Amino acid sequence: MAIHEKTLIDPARLMTTDSLVVDGVDVSGHWNTMILPRYLTDYDDDFYKIIAAMPGGENVHRCWQCGSCTNSCTMYAQNTDFNPRYWIYLTNLGLKDEIIKDKDIIWTCVSCNKCTNICPKDVRPEGVMKALSHWMEEQGITPKASSSIFDEEFLDQVYETGRMEDGRIVYNFFKKTGQSLTQDWLVEVMKRMIKYMPVSFLMHMGLHLVFKPRTKKWERTQQVLREYVREQKAAAHTPQPKGVVHA
Amino acid sequence: MQNTVLVVGAGPAGLAAAAGVAGAGMNVVLVEKEDRLGGTPILSGYAKLVPSGEWAKDAMGRMIKRVEDVRGATIHKGAKVTKLDGEAGRFIATISNGKTVECGAVILATGFTHFDSINKPEWGFGTFEDVVTTTQVEQMVVAGKIACPSDGRVPDRVAILLCVGSRDRQIGREWCSKICCTVSTNLAMEIKELSPQTDVFIYYMDIRTFGLYEDRFYWKSQEEFKTKFVKARIAEVTKSPDGRLLVKGEDTLVKRPIVIPMDLVVHAIGMDPNEDNPEIAKVFGIALEKHGFIERAEHYTNTCGTTRRGIYAVGAALGPETIDDSISQGQAAAMRAVNDLHALVQKIA
Ligand SMILES: Cc1cc2nc3c(=O)[nH]c(=O)nc-3n(C[C@H](O)[C@H](O)[C@H](O)COP(=O)(O)OP(=O)(O)OC[C@H]3O[C@@H](n4cnc5c(N)ncnc54)[C@H](O)[C@@H]3O)c2cc1C
Ligand code: SF4
Ligand code: SF4
Ligand code: SF4
Repeated sequence: MAIHEKTLIDPARLMTTDSLVVDGVDVSGHWNTMILPRYLTDYDDDFYKIIAAMPGGENVHRCWQCGSCTNSCTMYAQNTDFNPRYWIYLTNLGLKDEIIKDKDIIWTCVSCNKCTNICPKDVRPEGVMKALSHWMEEQGITPKASSSIFDEEFLDQVYETGRMEDGRIVYNFFKKTGQSLTQDWLVEVMKRMIKYMPVSFLMHMGLHLVFKPRTKKWERTQQVLREYVREQKAAAHTPQPKGVVHA
Repeated sequence: MQNTVLVVGAGPAGLAAAAGVAGAGMNVVLVEKEDRLGGTPILSGYAKLVPSGEWAKDAMGRMIKRVEDVRGATIHKGAKVTKLDGEAGRFIATISNGKTVECGAVILATGFTHFDSINKPEWGFGTFEDVVTTTQVEQMVVAGKIACPSDGRVPDRVAILLCVGSRDRQIGREWCSKICCTVSTNLAMEIKELSPQTDVFIYYMDIRTFGLYEDRFYWKSQEEFKTKFVKARIAEVTKSPDGRLLVKGEDTLVKRPIVIPMDLVVHAIGMDPNEDNPEIAKVFGIALEKHGFIERAEHYTNTCGTTRRGIYAVGAALGPETIDDSISQGQAAAMRAVNDLHALVQKIA
């Protein structure tokens, strides 16, 4: 049946196909509007293991939903949609879609740790908020945070040359985060550097920006380093294999 | 006759009472309607007991042996008391096997009856093979294998529904059965031990793992065995086209209806009054309380008393009770009966 009174229904649950013919009858547009069911149809049993494998998320499965974290939360006081208790429940049942609905607020946790200090089961909700934000960033659900971009730029340079050049990191970081290089404060910094730094130092920096010096015989070390970082990341993100129940 | 106590029912409570009476140097006559001693933990084949972790057959076995070996104990199995004449200090009981017993006091340890899940048809018991009760899972644990009865497969997911046949005005059961929360968290751990790949979900309204059962069972099953606790009272269990079961209800924390596939659904059945209670009340001339359990006297100074002098009651006959507390009550009632008989003897002398 076509649905006429749509104002009562959450727009995300209304489904309309632009052109549709059923049994020879054209029911394009308005006429085929359907309401998506409200019920939850499955859990992702192992999702909590992904969060538990991230720093801070280790104790997520301990939560018994008392709500002490939410009640004490700095951000909840600003916005009642910010609810760590709720997201922890969703994590444990693996209701990912429901978590993703709140992607734009989960990362706003200010790490005040009031929640962690009050939690009677030592769940460490602050850590879970960090882990969830991280997971969403990794999955591309939320854009990369500036801090992650900086980390990547830093690491890339080390991989490439075995050393890091301040100037180049700052330059690339600003470029990747879409920040102007002619911001007033930055221009002021440059001016003062030119004024107070020894000329030889500035020339050195300039040369390095152009020629990208490398640490000698870096290739071998580079391989080892890359491999090590890869292993560490994999270890941190591999859920415990099924069947291992004891810590 | 004033040095004999009649104990009816040979579960944990009755066995403790019998051992207590005999231990105090009096005679005890134990009447059990089944042909085996040990009560429900033995008759229903329970696995490891809460909180000791000991197998039921070993723990109950020791209690049974103690009574069988003690001097001054007479045991009638497969028998019931059909008539009780006289009064405190000089009762005459007629047993269904034709014998009569002269005794000064009676201890009723007649226990409970399991809730029959057929009385909650919407939860699928009796309709779908893979809907079972906690007693059936106890038996699976004893057999060492968790499997779906329909086809023998090991379940990926098990849902335990709490409060089945308890806390439900619709079916006239307004009590909490007290031990099923703890038993269920314990079973969740036993399931996981036998089948590490199985995920266990407990659907609850409240978790009542009282006293020291809190961390030893509830916390442990959640923190070490990763049991998931879902706050929802399931409304209905149905079957999906692929043969799995579907549990339907409202997840009250997400404020959304749920329809979740499960392989095995377990009813955490409650403790009903013993179905014999109306008959027991008539034979022994005692009153039942409003739910149908045996009515207790004021407990402070008339410990383990019923509404009739000289007749005591213990264990699950009085309402949902644990094994440990049933045993303590059995022992307490033995002391009580012996004390009262001593007092009578002194009065007469
Ligand atoms: C699934 C399940 C698991 C449980 N697991 C645990 C656990 O791990 N730990 C725990 O503490 N508790 C557990 N319990 C509770 C436990 O079963 C009771 O606490 C215990 O059985 C009570 O002991 P009782 O002696 O009072 O009664 P019962 O064990 O019921 O014994 C009563 C005895 O009286 C007999 N009887 C009954 N009527 C008559 C009559 N008219 N004449 C003669 N004899 C009669 C019966 O045949 C029976 O032998 C569990 C309960 C359930 C439902
Ligand atoms: S650390 Fe984050 S989640 Fe915890 S109380 Fe502070 S703002 Fe809330
Ligand atoms: S305070 Fe701890 S146990 Fe309570 S809801 Fe928050 S995380 Fe869960
Ligand atoms: S002990 Fe738990 S499962 Fe049993 S009736 Fe009480 S609340 Fe329900």
